[in-house]
Amino acid sequence: MGAATPIRDLSARDLEPILAVARKLAVSFDLDTMLGEVASAARQVLEADRVSVWLHDAATDELVLGSSSDLGAVRVPASMGLVGSCARNRRLINVPDCYADERFDPSMDRRTGYRTRCMLSLPLIDHKDELVGVIEVLNPASGAFDEDDEALATVLAAQCAVALQRGRMMEAVIEGERMRQELEIARSVQLGTLPTTMPAVPGYDVYGRFEPAGLTGGDTFDLQVVDQGLLVVLGDATGHGMGPALTVAQMQAMLRMAFRLGADLDTAFAQVNNLLAEMLPADRFICAFIGLLDPGTHRIRFHSGGHGPILVFRASTGECEVHLPTSFPVAAMPLPASRAAATLDFAPGDILVLISDGLTEYCDPGGEEYGHTRIHQVLRQHHVKTMAELADVLLESVRAFGRGAPQEDDVTAVLIKRESERPLAASSFARSLDSLEAIFGFIGTMFASYGVDASLRQPVEFAVEELFTNMVKYGKASEAGVRLTLVRIPGGVEATLIDHDTEPFDITQVPDANVDLPIEQREPGGLGIHLVRRMVDSLEYEYREELRQTRITFRKTLTGASGSGGAPKTGDGHVHD
Amino acid sequence: MFTIENRPDGVVVLAGRLDSAQASNAQSFLDRLQGAVTLDCRGLEYISSAGLGVLLKTQKRLMASAGKLRLVGVNRHLRDIFRYSGFDQIFEIEPLE
Repeated sequence: MGAATPIRDLSARDLEPILAVARKLAVSFDLDTMLGEVASAARQVLEADRVSVWLHDAATDELVLGSSSDLGAVRVPASMGLVGSCARNRRLINVPDCYADERFDPSMDRRTGYRTRCMLSLPLIDHKDELVGVIEVLNPASGAFDEDDEALATVLAAQCAVALQRGRMMEAVIEGERMRQELEIARSVQLGTLPTTMPAVPGYDVYGRFEPAGLTGGDTFDLQVVDQGLLVVLGDATGHGMGPALTVAQMQAMLRMAFRLGADLDTAFAQVNNLLAEMLPADRFICAFIGLLDPGTHRIRFHSGGHGPILVFRASTGECEVHLPTSFPVAAMPLPASRAAATLDFAPGDILVLISDGLTEYCDPGGEEYGHTRIHQVLRQHHVKTMAELADVLLESVRAFGRGAPQEDDVTAVLIKRESERPLAASSFARSLDSLEAIFGFIGTMFASYGVDASLRQPVEFAVEELFTNMVKYGKASEAGVRLTLVRIPGGVEATLIDHDTEPFDITQVPDANVDLPIEQREPGGLGIHLVRRMVDSLEYEYREELRQTRITFRKTLTGASGSGGAPKTGDGHVHD
Repeated sequence: MFTIENRPDGVVVLAGRLDSAQASNAQSFLDRLQGAVTLDCRGLEYISSAGLGVLLKTQKRLMASAGKLRLVGVNRHLRDIFRYSGFDQIFEIEPLE
């Protein structure tokens, strides 16, 4: 055993118990067990009556008797008494008569009724020369500690110091891991309460997005269709770590339950506030917007406990309105009486924007906050996009602003848009090939005004032309023109062509052209529908008997499965993609 | 807007949009061609199935007398259409790089 050079040569008999304790300490991982082993080895080797092991708490510069994880442990400042003197000077102290030494603190004896006569104190210094603690050996059978005892104790102390330091580090690692696991569990509870799919609300585009910041943060949102309307929640609990994550999950559950049981908004808000106020520690609260949207009347009633500003983009003016919270944060204190909700009315194209402070307070490397003005700019520029796209733009804008600065807090956005009146764009065209120019102009204008991706324009024009020319060719000479309606949908466009006074003819049943025939057998024509199928995501045909009306609808999006009508044919090598 | 014209070197230059409304213009121009003809499609933005019909009819006529059409400078949108319609097997096509 590569022991430190002892003061004198140790006999094999002396070394045996020291080796034994070193072996025991090597296999032990529990600090309390280790302390017991050290004490009993010292008692045995030095034939002493009692042994105390003090550990140094570097954070407070105190010496702690026994395991520091014990809250009732005895603590003394590292400057006090013989033990303090030993720690401070890092020197062995051999006191034959304690009561004659002024450094001795007799309070421990008074407390325990024990009488300390002589005491050997040794500093525990680890291999990195750090003070681990102090070991005190009391009242040897021989009556006093001699030089041999000092030498033995020094070797023992060196062994114990390294083992104990290892034990303390292990304990810290285990504690850290336990806390991390607890945080992870709290996080998964919190994430589990978020909606996984966005509800379909007629006439509205609703979207919520949650970007967690590492393991900490206490944001939540909810978008649920309940009997009373669309429940809209955005919450941000104070603080970081396990508490806020669980708090918002709790609020979420309470609200869903309240509304499922038929509670009205004002009662639900007051009751959830009061219940959380009772349950949560005094310094905890949640900034929360809780609202119910009636998609029929286009009115949202809401309470906002501390969440603000609430932004409303008004399509008619292109500007943002700012609304303040209606009351103090949820759970800050009980509400004296339930009060009436505030209301907001949606006009077509209006957007309600709820954003947690993790976004507005996102800092760039220089410490400047993202703020609200930039959100207004994004809204003005991108309000025609779908809410999912708008959320993307907002988050990209924040990230670009942050220039790589880490995300410190959860970032949550809830966006509620009343769709612009449908159809977004509609026009009738005379049934003539001469209308094509006007049709293409109409499509171009629609793409530009509603911000539809330009790469979709050619396939959309192609499909419209093919469907329109079919109607011109095969339709009766109806007086009414063909009506073309274009609607902006997430990531693209939906087009509907309506032809009046027609016979039923389901174009979706037209077989594909055989494109592998040799040229002699191929005829001009018959390719239109074949190609349309390959250009668009979906193609639907509907015939309304009572109106003698044909409606053909197709959708084309950036992400859509083009060529739904069959796998595209690959070429003979002249075409390179 | 659609234009079709002869370059001095005999190459036929197509530009703009070859849709159903322009198909008959294109057809009457192409009907006058003989032999092996190169169509410069660099300026051709758009083609519909009516335009494909014009090209097919011309190709069949030229091939009957040992001629043919060669399409150069074909954009991506057009290439998709040629591919989906099997026209890439009927015409020699050089993509627009």
